[in-house]
Amino acid sequence: MKLTEQQLSELAAELDQVKANVMNQLGDKEARYIRRMLLTQRLSAISGRILMVLGFVTPWLWVFGVALLALAKILDNMEIGHNVLHGQYDWMNDPVLHSKRFEWDIACDAGSWKRTHNFEHHTYTNIIGKDRDFGYGLLRLSNDFRWRLRNLWQFVTYLLLSTLFQWGVSYHELAGERVFFGKKKADRVNSVSHSDLKKAFFGKGARQLFKDYVFFPLIAGPMWLWVLAGNVLANLIRNLWTSTVIFCGHFTADVHTFTQQQCEGESRGHWYYRQILGSSNFTGPRWFHILTGHLSCQIEHHLYPDMPALHYLTVAPQVQAIAKKYGIAYNSGSFLRQYATVVGRIIRYSFPGGKATPA
Amino acid sequence: MNETISLWGQRLYRQFSLMLANQPKLSYYLQPLLRWNNAELHPDYYSARIVDSGWETEQILSVWLEPEPSWTGFTPGQHLLVTLLHQGRYISRSFSISSSSGLFAQQKQIRISCRIQPQGQFTKALAADIAKLTHLSISAATGDFVLEPQTDGAPQQSIVMVAAGSGITPLWSMLSSLRCWTSPVVLFYCVKNAAQAAFLTELRLLAAKQPLFELQLIETASTGRLNLVQQLKENTKISLTHALYYLCGPAAMSRQYKDDLIQQGVPSDAVHAERFGLELAATQGPVKQALLIEQGKVTTIEAAAGVPLLQAAEKQGLSPRFGCRIGVCYQCVCQKKSGQVLNLRTGQISGDGPEQIQLCISAAHSDLQIEL
Repeated sequence: MKLTEQQLSELAAELDQVKANVMNQLGDKEARYIRRMLLTQRLSAISGRILMVLGFVTPWLWVFGVALLALAKILDNMEIGHNVLHGQYDWMNDPVLHSKRFEWDIACDAGSWKRTHNFEHHTYTNIIGKDRDFGYGLLRLSNDFRWRLRNLWQFVTYLLLSTLFQWGVSYHELAGERVFFGKKKADRVNSVSHSDLKKAFFGKGARQLFKDYVFFPLIAGPMWLWVLAGNVLANLIRNLWTSTVIFCGHFTADVHTFTQQQCEGESRGHWYYRQILGSSNFTGPRWFHILTGHLSCQIEHHLYPDMPALHYLTVAPQVQAIAKKYGIAYNSGSFLRQYATVVGRIIRYSFPGGKATPA
Repeated sequence: MNETISLWGQRLYRQFSLMLANQPKLSYYLQPLLRWNNAELHPDYYSARIVDSGWETEQILSVWLEPEPSWTGFTPGQHLLVTLLHQGRYISRSFSISSSSGLFAQQKQIRISCRIQPQGQFTKALAADIAKLTHLSISAATGDFVLEPQTDGAPQQSIVMVAAGSGITPLWSMLSSLRCWTSPVVLFYCVKNAAQAAFLTELRLLAAKQPLFELQLIETASTGRLNLVQQLKENTKISLTHALYYLCGPAAMSRQYKDDLIQQGVPSDAVHAERFGLELAATQGPVKQALLIEQGKVTTIEAAAGVPLLQAAEKQGLSPRFGCRIGVCYQCVCQKKSGQVLNLRTGQISGDGPEQIQLCISAAHSDLQIEL
């Protein structure tokens, strides 16, 4: 159903009010929460790395160590990094938690992430041709894209992308800017030069590789192979987890896509409308939400990317009520159900045809 | 040679820290562990234990601090940036140290004395939180508002000090630190009334004990504003052109006295002034538009004439990094891409090209593009 401009502006006003109620009260509670998260992350990272070396006592310690390091990387990337880089905690004026200075434990350079994710993806969410996060230029996830032969085996491509997710994310901007391959687009205005992009990509990537696969194995001495294997595994777990969470937020069965014409000169209300329809939530216990960095509330995150994420759960019922009032589909379900539809979508569009985006 | 080695060492450490912890320094990574029970400490500054606090007057609160051992000390007259965590947020303000170098030498303590302003965000928070705070974060002491060393052999110069209100703090630090008195010192202490004068008992005691020191209390509520030049000519034996001047008070006052003195033939390098507060330069003119670019995302803000860009950006819901908000600490420096800004401290208008600006003391002079 289509909303009138009048309805859209009322929608915007209501959603703005929900945000203002939270943002006006930010203070000690949020600061304590994110600092506790940071402390948990540091403790699990350090103890995880130590326990891995102690694997010679019993391999169970190694297993426990790998799990802790994976947890640390997941917390760093999701509940801390992703949210801090959105500027959710900038108001704290803390150099360790400010989006301008934050850097995370992942191959992707934070500056590149802020350009492609914060700006491109969050501004042009699910607009075909503008939001390159829709399929990452690798997967055909809707009928808006012409079918190609390579789409036949795109489920394998998807598994590979998930396995190497941090490198996919890190290379994303360079792929879009055609730094190494592809025809340079004449109309693209580069905010960052190709040489700076390369420098950030190789610099950050090399530091991450060196840390996990050279430095820590080296100082582990005779346990080097255990540490190396443990680090590979921890990175892999993190990659699979982050990829799965993100796919469940945008590529479930009922997510809508939009054309560029639909969004030309759109109002704030339409932007909100598009964010609700372009995202999907999934449910779970509290600890589960924290592990997803509250991206389990992808809809709320897309409406309010700069609201401290711990509040998404509390505003979700209000958002859902507003969506219902305006007859906008609010896409939520259990994690397994949502993930099943993601897999279904990837497989469906491996083949030609499929439902077309309504104009 | 040593410099080159230390420079390389610093670079190597930075790279190592980036590799290991994704932070420019390891202390940032360790901060959550180090301060787990002391969350109020700011990672960029020294910690200072609050030893005691008390009211000098109804409005002026003194806080005695014991800085951590690595703190580098101070010269009387200097100021430092004090940072505190208030409602989850770091806020900072700069204060002059009001205690003597003797107190620091003997007990490793310093004192800051703050006028609590009802509209002041920092001072209000400090007064409200002081009872439950255990530590404050402080920067190294900086500033060149210090007594000129009197060169041996040269004729001793008289010293004229003018303090307005809480402007007494650096001057009292200088006076209480003076060990050997060689020349006359006169202090004009301007306050609304004597009840609002901090350190008055101590100053009177000093005047009684030290024949070279003269205290002139100016109660502006009853006698009106101090006419410095006239007062010096009529009530002191000081030769105007052969004295050193130390002025501390609101920016407008210091500038006025400095102009008056220069007119009397006083060389301008004999007049030292510590200004506090942000004196707003021209505040007239139409509202400009500033485009603030944050990693590609553009926010347009209304930048009214005379309003610091930092304040304008915050009003729009943005949160750029900031510190002292009076142009001292350089934490809010951003790259201006185009347009002209007015420096609210100096009144200077910038060029049109790309350059670094301090958001807290820059106002729009034309439409702007700024990289946050």
